[in-house]
Amino acid sequence: MDLHLSHVSHRYGGVEVLDDVDFTVAQGHIVCIIGPSGCGKSTLLRLIGGLEKPSAGAVLQLGEPPADSRNPLTYIFQDFALLPWRTVRGNVSLVLEDHVLDQGARAAIIDDVLRRTKLSEFGDAFPRQLSGGMKQRVAIARALSVNPACLLMDEPLSALDSQTRELLMDDLIELWSREPFTACYVTHNLGEAVRLGHKVIVLSRRPGRIREVVDIDLPLAGRSAERASLEALQERLWRLMREEALAADQELADA
Amino acid sequence: MQVSSRIRRSVICAAIVAAGAVSGGAWAQEKITVGALRFTSHAPTFIAYERGYFKQEGLDVELKFFQAAQPVAVAIASGDIDFGITALTGGYFNLADKGALKIVGGLFAEKKGYKGMAIMASNKAYAAGMTSPAKIKGHSVAITQVGSSFHFMTGMIAAKYGFAMSDVSLKPLQKVGSMIGAVKSGQVDAMMMVPHVAIPLDKAKAAKIIGWMSDLGPYQVTTIFTSTRNTAERQVQVKRFMRAYKKGIADYRAVMLNQKKDPAATEAMVKLIHKYVYADRPYEKAAPGIKAGAVYINEGAALDVGNVKKQLDWFKAQGLVKTKMTYKDLIATGYADMFDVPK
Amino acid sequence: MPEGPVPQARSVAFRGGGFAPRPVGIVGPIVFVTLLLLWELGSRTGWISALILPAPSAALGALEDLYRSGLLFKHLGASLERLVLGWCLGTLAGIGVGISAGLFSLARAGVVPLVSAIFPIPKIALLPLFIIWFGIGEASKVATIFFGVFFPTVIAVTGGIDNVDRGLVRMGQSFGLRWSSVVRKIILPGALPAILSGFRITASIAIILLVAAEMIGAEFGVGAYILMAGNLMATDQLIAGVAILSALGLGVGWLIGRAERFLLRWRG
Repeated sequence: MDLHLSHVSHRYGGVEVLDDVDFTVAQGHIVCIIGPSGCGKSTLLRLIGGLEKPSAGAVLQLGEPPADSRNPLTYIFQDFALLPWRTVRGNVSLVLEDHVLDQGARAAIIDDVLRRTKLSEFGDAFPRQLSGGMKQRVAIARALSVNPACLLMDEPLSALDSQTRELLMDDLIELWSREPFTACYVTHNLGEAVRLGHKVIVLSRRPGRIREVVDIDLPLAGRSAERASLEALQERLWRLMREEALAADQELADA
Repeated sequence: MQVSSRIRRSVICAAIVAAGAVSGGAWAQEKITVGALRFTSHAPTFIAYERGYFKQEGLDVELKFFQAAQPVAVAIASGDIDFGITALTGGYFNLADKGALKIVGGLFAEKKGYKGMAIMASNKAYAAGMTSPAKIKGHSVAITQVGSSFHFMTGMIAAKYGFAMSDVSLKPLQKVGSMIGAVKSGQVDAMMMVPHVAIPLDKAKAAKIIGWMSDLGPYQVTTIFTSTRNTAERQVQVKRFMRAYKKGIADYRAVMLNQKKDPAATEAMVKLIHKYVYADRPYEKAAPGIKAGAVYINEGAALDVGNVKKQLDWFKAQGLVKTKMTYKDLIATGYADMFDVPK
Repeated sequence: MPEGPVPQARSVAFRGGGFAPRPVGIVGPIVFVTLLLLWELGSRTGWISALILPAPSAALGALEDLYRSGLLFKHLGASLERLVLGWCLGTLAGIGVGISAGLFSLARAGVVPLVSAIFPIPKIALLPLFIIWFGIGEASKVATIFFGVFFPTVIAVTGGIDNVDRGLVRMGQSFGLRWSSVVRKIILPGALPAILSGFRITASIAIILLVAAEMIGAEFGVGAYILMAGNLMATDQLIAGVAILSALGLGVGWLIGRAERFLLRWRG
């Protein structure tokens, strides 16, 4: 299943947030969306997942999601959004409980996603006992458990320190390499975008318009070895964004 | 001309004051505090105060108003005020047991031929056959509190008609207003009520008067009391207070117990009482209640000692008062007539 | 490095610390016992007159008399029945109304002003009306406690729901959870800490209102016992009755503490 954003515009009251955004997320690809703060990245992600309705244009699913997908468009949040009163297993189980599954099948799915996110030993721990990186791995496990057709990731690594971020990026790449998934990845971190994106969409400051689409043809798994070309790419993206970021920074909130 | 008249007037005033001081004794005015409730049965206090009887005895009285009788007793025991009027209740006896209070005279009493406390039935109970006090057996009775005078009156009815206290179910409702509400709505079968409330209730067919407490025999309802310290250390002051108070009682009895005799005097006295009782209502509305509430008050503040003993014994027998005290310990004699004294 | 004499070394003065309460378990009982001992001593020496305050031993004696007469459990039983019934009904109704006010804008618009208007009314002021509405039997007593408990529960539950992390609700919706699941598995557990601290308050209110409730024609009950003691100026019984209420409060507080520790064990 591909996702196509067809001339999407959005406004909150009188404020124009997104203007004629149009791109496609191809199956098995990770599309990174970057832009200065306040450019409407997170709004765009909420529109894609159906948590908000666009003022104009449409978000289209091209083709049917896989039959075993329980929640085709699945979010991963910046603040993890784990229920503090449920254990790791309980948090994954939460999103399966509304589906018809017998006890054994549900347990098998939970075991599988915990194994894939290297959390098997921590099934009975409560969120407060986990580090930030582990919490986000729980959130990823929870997202994987519903077999998403497309992951919608909203700055998933922003709340983590830089070392943990590196480790988690490696984990994501490993996950993708074993079983490629489709994802929309919103970030303001250019390093993450060039490491994880097959395609990087650069948005302008508010109202967010597509300034440029950069395709990165390097295979994900080999990118950590290609520091030089990644640095050059990152530099290019930064040049694209710098002016916008500067202008956005000097805007008054709600001005 | 003007100046000389003013001087003359002030000279006359000074002479009058000097004469007053001499006739009242050579002492300066003594300050005392009297606890009062805004009831017609406290009228002698207001009469003696308004007509200057306390002043004539050299007493500079300050009236302190209370919402209930019990706090008056507590205030006297603690020495905050000097004199008070109260019904004899379990609370009073227990407080007196601590040795701080003495009865010095009697006030409101039930006497045949005078309207005192009424015995009332709810319409429902009356219709079901509770038409006389004797038939209260087996019914519910509204009282304010356990150990209150309402509780004792129920005991009087039980004793008179030969049933046990366990034959009635007492409903303590804390407030007279709640008692009236409970009987009006038929949730409680019987209650005792002051005449100026009972008679209008009966007239409005909200409840039924089935008897009068005065038919059950003598009952010393309220007494005048002071602190034990006053009776021991300031006997002269207590005597002067009682002398003034008795004048108030005499005025009250002369007018209020025979209101038809001299309508003008009645009017004047009701106006005087109205300054203190039902003061929040206009005179026209307050007057009937004040007149109807004019209960019998013993001449010369005489005290029915036999009945005081009877009340103490009843409260002891009910287990409401635990004391080794006898009626003699309750009373300080020598300030008013004592009658029906047990031999 | 600049030239010159080596500067003198001295350690930086410590200025942190404080503002962090730590449990000191033994102090509470010591203060309590010391006060009681001083009180007893004052009474025995006559420094505190029996009129002002009875000795603790006298109150204990009254308690013993009450126990011997067998009335202690009759009073306690009658009061507990009213407390449990009034509190449970008030809590259930309060949770129900609180949840609807927390979840539905329409219910909120209707309920919140009503609660603000009625909550501050002292229930004692309404006793005469309660007598007419509910009679002088058990119903008016239970109703007094019910109304005392109901309104703060509504406030606690509504507030608790308001404070549930909206991010968690959005997460639930984004996974396509059913509405009932979002309420049951996310909103209610999220509001539980606030609801439980509401319980602490409403349980105390229920005990406070017990005396008021038993003003209306109660023959038995701890509140009725206290009222009777007050009317009879039996101060030793009064203190004994108040001590029973106090013990009741401690017991209820302990129970809620246990419930909190069990239900909120995820907080660690």
